[in-house]
Formats: sequence, C-alpha cells, structure tokens
Amino acid sequence: MNLLSFALRNVSRNRHRSMVTTGAMGFAGMIMILYASLMEGLFVSMERNALAMNLGEIQIHAKGYRDDPDLYTRIANPDKLVKLLQQQGFSATPRLFGFALAAAGSSSAGVQLRGIDIEHEPQVTQIHNHVARGAWLDGKDGKGVVLGRKLARTLAVEVGDELVIVGQAADGAMANALYTVKGVLKSVGEEIDRAGFFMLESSFRDLMGLPKGAHEIVILRTDRKQALALASMQVGTMFPDYEVKNWRALQPLIAEILGMADLNIYIMLVITYIAVAMVVLNAMLMSVFERIREFGVMKAIGFGPAQLFGLVYAETLVQAVVALLMAFTLGVPLSFYFEQHGIDLTNFVSGVSFAGIAFDPIWRAEVTPRAVVSPLITLFMMAAIAVLYPAIKAAVIRPVKAIHYR
Amino acid sequence: MNLAQMAWRNVWRRKRRTLITAFSIGFGVLLAATFTGMAVYMYGNMIDASAATGFGHVTIEPAGYNRTPTLDKRLSDSARLRQEVLVEPGVKAAMVRIMGQAMFASAAKSVGGMFLAIDPQQESAEYNLLIRSMVKGRVFPNRTGTGIVVGRKLADKLNLRIGKKLVYTTTDTNGEIVSEIARVSGMFATGVSEIDTGMVLLPIDRVRKVLAYAPDEATLLATMLLDQRKSDKLRQRLEDRVGGAGREVLSWRQTQADLAGMITIDGSSNYISQFLVALLIAAGVLNTLLMSVLERSREFGVMMAIGMSSRRLFRLVMVESIWLALIGLTIGIALTAPVYWYLDIYGLDFSSMLGGEDYSVSGVLVDPVMRIRLHAESITTILSIVFGLALLSGIYPAWRAGHIPPIESLRTI
Amino acid sequence: MQPSRNLFRTLCVICVLLLSLSVIAQDSSTARAKKILRDIDDLWRGESSYGRFSMHVKTLHYTRSLQMEGWSKGTEQTLMRILRPLKEKGTATLKSGKIIYTYLPRTDRTIRLTSGMMMGSWMGSHFTNDDLVKESRMEEDYIPRIAFEGLRDGRQVILFELKPKPDAAVVWGKLELLVIKKDYLPVYEKYFDEDMKLARTMTFNQVKILAGKPRPSVMRLTPADKPDEYTEFVYESLELNIKLKDNLFSLANLKRY
Repeated sequence: MNLLSFALRNVSRNRHRSMVTTGAMGFAGMIMILYASLMEGLFVSMERNALAMNLGEIQIHAKGYRDDPDLYTRIANPDKLVKLLQQQGFSATPRLFGFALAAAGSSSAGVQLRGIDIEHEPQVTQIHNHVARGAWLDGKDGKGVVLGRKLARTLAVEVGDELVIVGQAADGAMANALYTVKGVLKSVGEEIDRAGFFMLESSFRDLMGLPKGAHEIVILRTDRKQALALASMQVGTMFPDYEVKNWRALQPLIAEILGMADLNIYIMLVITYIAVAMVVLNAMLMSVFERIREFGVMKAIGFGPAQLFGLVYAETLVQAVVALLMAFTLGVPLSFYFEQHGIDLTNFVSGVSFAGIAFDPIWRAEVTPRAVVSPLITLFMMAAIAVLYPAIKAAVIRPVKAIHYR
Repeated sequence: MNLAQMAWRNVWRRKRRTLITAFSIGFGVLLAATFTGMAVYMYGNMIDASAATGFGHVTIEPAGYNRTPTLDKRLSDSARLRQEVLVEPGVKAAMVRIMGQAMFASAAKSVGGMFLAIDPQQESAEYNLLIRSMVKGRVFPNRTGTGIVVGRKLADKLNLRIGKKLVYTTTDTNGEIVSEIARVSGMFATGVSEIDTGMVLLPIDRVRKVLAYAPDEATLLATMLLDQRKSDKLRQRLEDRVGGAGREVLSWRQTQADLAGMITIDGSSNYISQFLVALLIAAGVLNTLLMSVLERSREFGVMMAIGMSSRRLFRLVMVESIWLALIGLTIGIALTAPVYWYLDIYGLDFSSMLGGEDYSVSGVLVDPVMRIRLHAESITTILSIVFGLALLSGIYPAWRAGHIPPIESLRTI
Repeated sequence: MQPSRNLFRTLCVICVLLLSLSVIAQDSSTARAKKILRDIDDLWRGESSYGRFSMHVKTLHYTRSLQMEGWSKGTEQTLMRILRPLKEKGTATLKSGKIIYTYLPRTDRTIRLTSGMMMGSWMGSHFTNDDLVKESRMEEDYIPRIAFEGLRDGRQVILFELKPKPDAAVVWGKLELLVIKKDYLPVYEKYFDEDMKLARTMTFNQVKILAGKPRPSVMRLTPADKPDEYTEFVYESLELNIKLKDNLFSLANLKRY
C-alpha cells in the first residue's frame, strides 16, 4: 500500500489523538490569522492616517518654502503642473497656506489657513471623509470652513457658528472676512488639530489677495506597484525648478515609527509562530513516541528508514492540511467580524496623536490576502519543521530497542 | 501513596513530553515578562519625562483649565496647597508654577511660545526636564529677578546669547497687554524641537507682578511621585482633601491625554498579542494533557474498575496539571532571570536604528536604550495567569479521565 | 502718525530749551539731559492734535499707499483712520492706554489686539503694533544724554543718545537722535540692537511749516537689513491743541466713517 493511504489510516485510527493534534494546530492557525489581521489593521490605519489624511506620497514646493514658509514663495503655475502630473499617471492637488488670527466671541487663536482645491483633493487624500461633525467643504459655499478638532474647542465654536479671520494680505492690507463653521474634523495630527483652518481655494485667494500660484502640490501614485522612490525621482525630473520630496524624506520620523511598528509586528508574529511550532512539535513527538513499539515492529518486518520518515511526515502533513482548513474556516470569519466591529478603545483613548499621526480609537482588523495566507503557510512550514525531529527519530529506530521501549 | 506523589510520578513517566510542554509554559512566562517589563519601563520613563515638562504626575489646577488654558484662571492659595500635598506619602516634590503663552522678542525678530514660571528653590533637574537639559549658563538664582532660561533653538532664532535681553509680551489678568524685560541666564536643549523653540523658564514672583497676580496665586501645583503608578490613587486622595472650591485635581492621564492614549493603544496591542500567545500555549498544554489521559485510558479503566471514583481521577489529573504548571513556571523563571538581568544592566540599544536622532512621542523624549522594569505585581500577575491557564487547560482532560467508558478503555490505543 | 509726532514733539522741545539754555556750558551729563527733557515736556505737552498724512510702504512684495487722518489726546489716546484707497476706507486703529482696537469695515468687526499680534506689522508697514504702544513710553523707558554738540557737515547739530533703563521692556540697545540746532529739526533717529548693530533708521526730510512751526513733513523708516524697503509718512496738515472730546476715542466712534 502506498504511504499516503497508510498515513491516512493511521491518522483515522487514532481519532482522538489526531483530533487533538489537528485541533491544536487549527486553533493556533486561527489565532494567527486573527492576530495578523489585527496587526494589518493597525498598520494600515497608522499609514492611512499619516499619509492619506494629509501628507500624500510626494510633495512639491517652491525652493526654500519649507525652511521659511512665506506667502510669497510659491509654485507659479499649479494648474499646469497638476495636468502634467495627471498625464503621467499621478493624482495631484494644489494647496495654499497662510497664517492669520481667528476670532469668535471672546476667544481668538492663531490659525493656519489652508486653501483646498475641492475637485482634486479627494483624489489624493481622504480628509473629506474625516469630518466628525457637520460636513466637508462645498464648492458652492465660499463662506463655509472646516476646523481642526482642537481649534474648534479653543474658539468654542460649533457647526453653524460664525467667526472672523484677520491677517495680512499679499498687498500688505489687512485681510479680513467672516466665515461660518461648516464642519469639525476628527483628529488628524497635532498641527491640523490645533490650527487647521480649511477653506475653498477661491475663498483663500479672495481673502489673501493671491490670485495665482500655490504653496504645495500633493501627489499620489495611481499605480501602487510603482516604487515610491522611482516615482519621486520621476516627478523630480519633471520639475527641476522646484523641490520634490516623498513623504519619507518630509517626515522621517513617521517613516521611522512605521518602520518600527512593522518590526514590532514581525517580532510578535515570529514569537507567535515559535509558540505554534512548539505546540506542533509537542504533538508530533508524542504521537511518534507513543507508537515507537509499532514502528519498531514495522522496521523489523522490513520498512526502511526512509519509509518510516515519509510515513510520519505524511501523517503530519495530512493533519496540517486539515488544520489549515480549520484555521481558514474559523479564522477568516472571525477576522472579518473584527474588521467590521473592531476593538473599541474609546473609553481609554479619545483622539490621540503619536508623533503627529492621529490614532483611530477603534482598532479594526484588516483581512488582507497577506494576513490570511502568510499564517497558513507558516503554520504548514512550522509543522513540517517541527516534525523533522520525531520523523528522524522514527526513521533511525533500532527495532529491538523500540519493541522493548517503555 | 497520596495523590500528589502519584501525580508527580505520572508526570515524569513521559520525561520528554513533560519537559517540552513545561518549556513552552516557561517560554510563555519569559515572553510575558519580557514584553510587559520592557513596555512598563518605556511607559514609566515617558510618563516621568512628560510629567517633568510641566504638569507633574498629579496636578492641582483651576477648574476648567485643562479644557481651555487661559491666564485668567488661577489657584489662590498655592503655598497652603503645597503644604497639604507634601504631607502625602509617596510625594517627592510639589512645585508651584505659572504657565502661559507669550510673545518673545529681540531686536531681530519675535516668536510666540509658552513660559513656565517657577521658584528655583522648589525645582531641580530631577523634576524639571528643562532644567535637566540645560547646556549653557544656569537657572536664575531667585524668584524675583529678571533672569530667563530659553531653549537653544529659540535663542538662535532671536539671536540671543547668555546675558542678552529679550522682551516678552503677554496678557495680564485685567486683559491688558503687558511686557517685561528679561536677560538670558541659561539655555537648554531637550532635543524635542517644539520645546526647544517654544518654551522658557521665568521667575515666578516676577511673573506674578507682570500678570497682576496676587503673591500667592499660580496656575497649577505640579506633584511628582516616587512611583508614577500611584498617580490615580493620589489624585483621588487629594481631590477628597482639597478638591472643589474652583479647583480640579487631575492625573497625568488627563493632563497629558495624548501620551495616555498612546500608552493605552500600545499597551492594548501588547496585551492582546500576549493573550493570543497565551492561548496558543494553553492549547499546547491541553494537547499534552489530553494525550496523556487518552493514552492511559486503559490504566484509568482498570483503576475505576477496582473502585477508584471518577472524582479522584479528576483530582489526580488536575494535580498532574498543577505539577506541570509548576515545572513550567520554574523553567519560566529560570529563563527569565538572565534575560531580565541582561536587560536591566545593559538594555537593548536602539539608538543606531534611530540614526542618532532623538526620538519623541507626543512631545516626550524616548530613551533609545530599552531596559526592563518588572514590579512585584506584574510578576505575580503573570505567574498566576500562566498558572491559571495551565490549570484551565487541565480541566477537560481531567474530566475525560474519569469518564472513559470502562469497556472502551480496555482496548489499547 | 503718532510715533514720530510725539517723538518729534519731544525732540523739538529738547531743542528749543537747549537753544534758550545755550549760554550754559555744554555738558553731556545725564542729569542735565533728563532735566531738560522734563522741562521740555512741561512746556510742550501738547494737549491734543489732528493731522492728515499719507503712508507709503515699499517692500519686496508690495508697494502700498494709504491716506489717513489721526487724532491724539495726551500721550495715551490715539485714533487713526484710513481715508483712501476706497477698499480700505474706514479701517481704524484706536489706542487707549496699552489697549489697541482695530475696526475692519469689510466685516464690520472690531478686534482687540492680543499679545500675540503685538509684534505683527501695523497696517502692513515696517512699524509694529508694539511700536504704537511703546512710543508714548519713550520718556519712561530711556535715559537720554547729549553725546555730541557742535559742527557736523556744515551745520550746528546735537546728537542725543538714549539708553534704555535696565528694567525697561524694550528690545533696543540704544537710540541715537541727530538734531539740527536751528529750529531744532530732527535729521535722523537710529535704533541699535543690544550688540550696538544698527537695526533701523528713521530719517526726517522736507521741512514745511506745520501747526505754525517748521517741521519735517516726511519721515521714512528703513530696516538696516533690507535697505530697499521703507515705510514713509508724509504730513499734509497738522493742528495742535484743538478741542477734542473724550468720546472721540471710543469704540462706538471707531465705526463711524
């Protein structure tokens, strides 16, 4: 009879033991899928918050703007640049920045005015989806503005309240205008929370007397497979007169933290896998050593070491496959549940920013192919590695010793 | 022979299996202890560092100040409050401070920032991060003079040196704009950019004069504890004693909500990871125990046939799992001790990974050398949880032991 | 425009008294200069003023011209209003003691200047809001002395040096005023930082008869690090010691234009 059917028979012969072993491996696999999904979710939300809310992937500035942000240091033809970028397969949006005083009632605060191109911004960032109360900017409502979370609190304003902005316009005159709070954002990051004042690009231009130019162009690759470094080099050669940098260069600290988070996740996964390997090792060792007499007899009647090795291996792999199926059928729905509902940390956390990145208080899992496949493959490999020792032991058994083994 | 001895012998009948399983329990202990310990160390440091930037571990401040910090809110009997706080056990220091926003100007330029007005007699490098990070000059000698200590980056922006003057402008309690001259007596460099460009230390009595505060008024009383974990308890006690009357007593969780949130998230992810690993190990233990029970079905069958009750069998297997757990814990402690010793003395140095830059989280500097700190409660918690899980894993196998149908058990596995 | 007018007044007072005291030995002690200052202040405390002037600002990014009118009463109350151009007409600044209010007609809002805005430029010029507040305190903040008295470039001049008192909340290291003895016309005022490096210069030109006396009608402030930029005030008319009601310097009046 061939090895596989022999293995299958052995496995089904000891239903209890097989079930327990398979069960332990399957349970382990399910846990790993859940864990990997939770970690993917954490990582995705960190990256999403860091990049997709505000940073984008690549940014263009006029030379010298970043060191000394000045109303006059501008990119001359933002529309042309955006069109060129779109032709090359990028999404891009221009932004205008200025500093002013906002006053409402008896409160006032320094704000960073942000003129937004509402047609292009949603192609590059997700901030339009990040409104906690009220609504995002509307192209027809030039007087509507959206505030950062902490700014709204400092000014003690809510949706519908009026406030006045006072600043210095491009021609030196005192720029001043009234606006109505249209929406208040959820936590995005320290700077935007504290001083972010979002308005239509046209409103900004009217207020500050800046009919042309932009201070920043934010870019997103539409083809995610293209390497970021290549993409930013490409953009850099397109516009040699300006400063082009990708988000890693702009915010090395965030890159560092995401890198460390990645590392952290890897470490936890490795540890988890080691724990799994030990479970499997344990189970398979027991399974081999209990049957040592049996193996001894088999050897005595002519089974070769390679065959015994193969047998033990096949038994394990069969159980592993069943365990994988179990892990998959249990782990994936469970992870989806946590993707939908997440782990609610709002009691402990309410709008946190960590090195300038905001955290979502609900920790959602993210079921990605990587989160499902990688644990399964690793489980399989762990089983395959763990059973080496017992299988070798089975293979080198001396028949007489084995039969007398107790 | 009694149950315990019998169980012990049973456990050692399968040396290899027992050792492997015990080792996995030990590994779980090592993991939990190391990760928890390193996290606790890091959090403790961050909390202590953050507390030293202004608010302390526990803060007494005017009601509503946390939400909207403005200079018109103040405490009126700061000296008495300080005495009340100092008698509390576990309090290392209590410092009266005024905090506010101001514009700092030199002939070159002007820059906005915050000031922390202190009494240099009450403060020291231990409790005040800015003093700890001084790189040039000294703190002003008394509370009344015109000294000021600025961040090095602020000094660069305003083109200042030791002994040079600057003018700070702020709004007093009557809503009037007031300015005062100050001469740089020292500079600090914390490594956190926002602090180095935006914060200064001023003498508290001089600031009281400038702001038209009464001599005993201040913005807050910052308390530093020996052990930051007692913050919540102290907060409650102080609130009972001096709360009300326009005052609030807050712990660092409220005054530094960002840090608290980050610690919670990081801590949660840590715990969830450990929990999952613990489940895995429990599964392994269950596996082992169940296997050992199933393979002894015959034995148990015989024992029951000659009159042993299933309850006794249950207890027997439970005691076996207790022994297994204890062996596991012992291995765990043996594994953890050298790791703990190494991390405590040497720590893991991540500074090369950070490229020499200082690394700050929510405005708090993080020490790139990761050490470990395990408190007695953490150790007992870890040990009891591991022990408990091991026991729980033993329940089903133990039950199984007493419920194998006698006939079936006489068949060989 | 208040800053130079008050300063100008002070200087003229110093000059006049010096002239009448010219028989006394030329002694540059601080005590003498102080006494002179005090006496002058007594003689010349103008009760009130009204003037019309234009302001021209040239910076790297813009050139701006405004026509304004201004009232003052004593040293603490000032009201200034923009008359032209039309889009800024009605914008007004009221200073009462140390508090500054600005009325903005486009939004019909009056805002009170906060400490954060004090170092910001006033109306887009090279003067800061803080300059507006500080100028009335010049006498309290500085110790004057006569550094030089005699012939320079063919004219009889007096060079005053004003050093800030140790407790004065001013950023400057010292001020230098050069004044022509005849008619006591100011020539320049220089602001130095604490390292005695020149930070900005105000020059006085175009002497005209204003309020009955020869005074410089053009005052130009130039930053030392940007010599191509300046803020210039050109006086068109000036009246002194007229009757002004206190309610002229009120918030309600701020809005009327």
